[in-house]
Amino acid sequence: MAAPSGSSSSVPSLPPPYPKSPPEYPDLYGKRRETAKVQVLEREIGFLEEELKTVEGLHPASRYCKEVVDFVVAKSDPLIPINRKNRRSCRFWKWLCRMPCFNFSWLSWICCCCYSKCSIHVELPRCCNCSDCNPCNCSNCDPCNCSNCDPCCCHPCGSCSCSIPKCWCWSCSCPRSRCCKKKSCSSVCCRSDCCDLRLPSCPDCSCPDCSCPDCSCCCSCNPCCQWKCPRLKCPKFRLCCSCKKKCCPCNPCCLFF
Amino acid sequence: MSVSELKERHAAAIETVNNLRERLKQKRQQLLDVDVAGYARSQGRTPVSFGPTDLVCCRTLQGHTGKVYSLDWTSERNRIVSASQDGRLIVWNALTSQKTHAIKLPCAWVMTCAFSPSGQSVACGGLDSVCSIFNLNSPTDKDGNLPVSRMLSGHKGYVSCCQYVPDEDTHLITSSGDQTCVLWDITTGLRTSVFGGEFQSGHTADVLSVSISGSNSRMFVSGSCDSTARLWDTRVASRAVHTFHGHEGDVNTVKFFPDGNRFGTGSDDGTCRLFDIRTGHQLQVYYQQHDENEIPHVTSIAFSISGRLLFAGYSNGHCYVWDTLLAKVVLNLGSLHNSHENRISCLGLSADGSALCTGSWDTNLKIWAFGGHRRVL
Repeated sequence: MAAPSGSSSSVPSLPPPYPKSPPEYPDLYGKRRETAKVQVLEREIGFLEEELKTVEGLHPASRYCKEVVDFVVAKSDPLIPINRKNRRSCRFWKWLCRMPCFNFSWLSWICCCCYSKCSIHVELPRCCNCSDCNPCNCSNCDPCNCSNCDPCCCHPCGSCSCSIPKCWCWSCSCPRSRCCKKKSCSSVCCRSDCCDLRLPSCPDCSCPDCSCPDCSCCCSCNPCCQWKCPRLKCPKFRLCCSCKKKCCPCNPCCLFF
Repeated sequence: MSVSELKERHAAAIETVNNLRERLKQKRQQLLDVDVAGYARSQGRTPVSFGPTDLVCCRTLQGHTGKVYSLDWTSERNRIVSASQDGRLIVWNALTSQKTHAIKLPCAWVMTCAFSPSGQSVACGGLDSVCSIFNLNSPTDKDGNLPVSRMLSGHKGYVSCCQYVPDEDTHLITSSGDQTCVLWDITTGLRTSVFGGEFQSGHTADVLSVSISGSNSRMFVSGSCDSTARLWDTRVASRAVHTFHGHEGDVNTVKFFPDGNRFGTGSDDGTCRLFDIRTGHQLQVYYQQHDENEIPHVTSIAFSISGRLLFAGYSNGHCYVWDTLLAKVVLNLGSLHNSHENRISCLGLSADGSALCTGSWDTNLKIWAFGGHRRVL
């Protein structure tokens, strides 16, 4: 293992290798190359010896495990559920808070309590996040006039400087046109063009420049033929594939299939 | 000195290096008095518990016609760039599923892509050994294609991974099959620093992944087929600050932990690991028992914003959600309703940590978000 940076090598007589101009005579026996290899190893020995000394002064891992735990538990995480014990009642209150204020008159007094402008106030359980009804905290956005207590409902007011994205409609199941019918998503969120941009379907299938006799081996779009591979070095995940023909020296069509 | 003497010296040096490494390993082992899971259990921590609807797929981004290999979120706005075997980059609005750009690449064999911090540019690289930069605001050419605004040439092997330096649209780090990482100045198109190489103290096999620290953008880690991860300081290119041993297979993916003092790795040995960058300690191994002959490789990882969850994609199509504190699998995204129909090849968290995006060989990307009750602090 290498030692921390800034340390000096334990082999001062050997300067670190650096690019040199070609030798005046041919290196027939690979002497220069062998020397460089030895230099690299001797530097490595120096680093390792230094690291051995450094390790002596390290604290045991428990100290750093504690740091990890302390960091993680101190930070909130929007992907993590809260304590299951409270969840049922929280869901209920959240459901109520998300109900439209005026569409369901029997619930409106409960829902509006989430918002200070409403005339009736009821103390909510702690799990009910009042910001749900006015997530943008926008003075021009009156959730009592919203069709739904959804972050999207802040959109129409236009003057929000929201800290959350203006159209936070994760519940809207785009793509395709069904998304636009979902009432909880504003029209801005699911405007008609949101799902309509389609890619052209493989315009270069003709492969005019391809001299490869196996053009059809890769796929209908034949990416082999779009690609020249003068300096090809195949990545490690060169996999076997059903394609037995070799378009290129390293058979790139097999790399990704 | 004769060639034969040099060879003897070389052999002796290799033996010394191996002995020193073994001593170092033993000393480190003595310092591992507990792992994170052991410590967390001793503190009475219990695993995160997910209900069936807590983490749900709320978007499917359809448009690629080939396997998706890489994705990246913008740092501020909710956009995603994805790279696919179909030879295109697509820029998505993750909230609306709208495609804002579909960029046809000069080289279809793309392996990686990244969004610039400002969201104005995207970068990609692959088997052509070049990292190409596209300015999303550039006018398209007569064929409707976005032109390459800068080509970063210099690698002698495929470009396996690229990431912009945080807060700098002008600097980017790539990793490559030529065993090096390179810090690029995009303005000039030149290499600022090369990390590793044939006669440098660096990786000794293909480098597959890089991750730059969010808290100190001078530091980055790389993972390699030499079974190690290395920590680098961009000011000191000649050697790695630390080399992290432990994996028994290629290190396919590396990602910094949110606190910046640790990072995670995923490997062909089927494990994910958590390393401490200051000490080199391996703090935890995340491993799910499998049949000995069918150990799935870890292909991609991402941490949730608190670090409590580790998302790991495997070569067998599973995508485990690990509780990092208890080292338990708490969910398998691959088995959920509406999940991908093929291997999850890449994944990433949105900047605010509220959504996970997964890319798959089934040509789709999916956005996952919390569908249950949110934590209210």
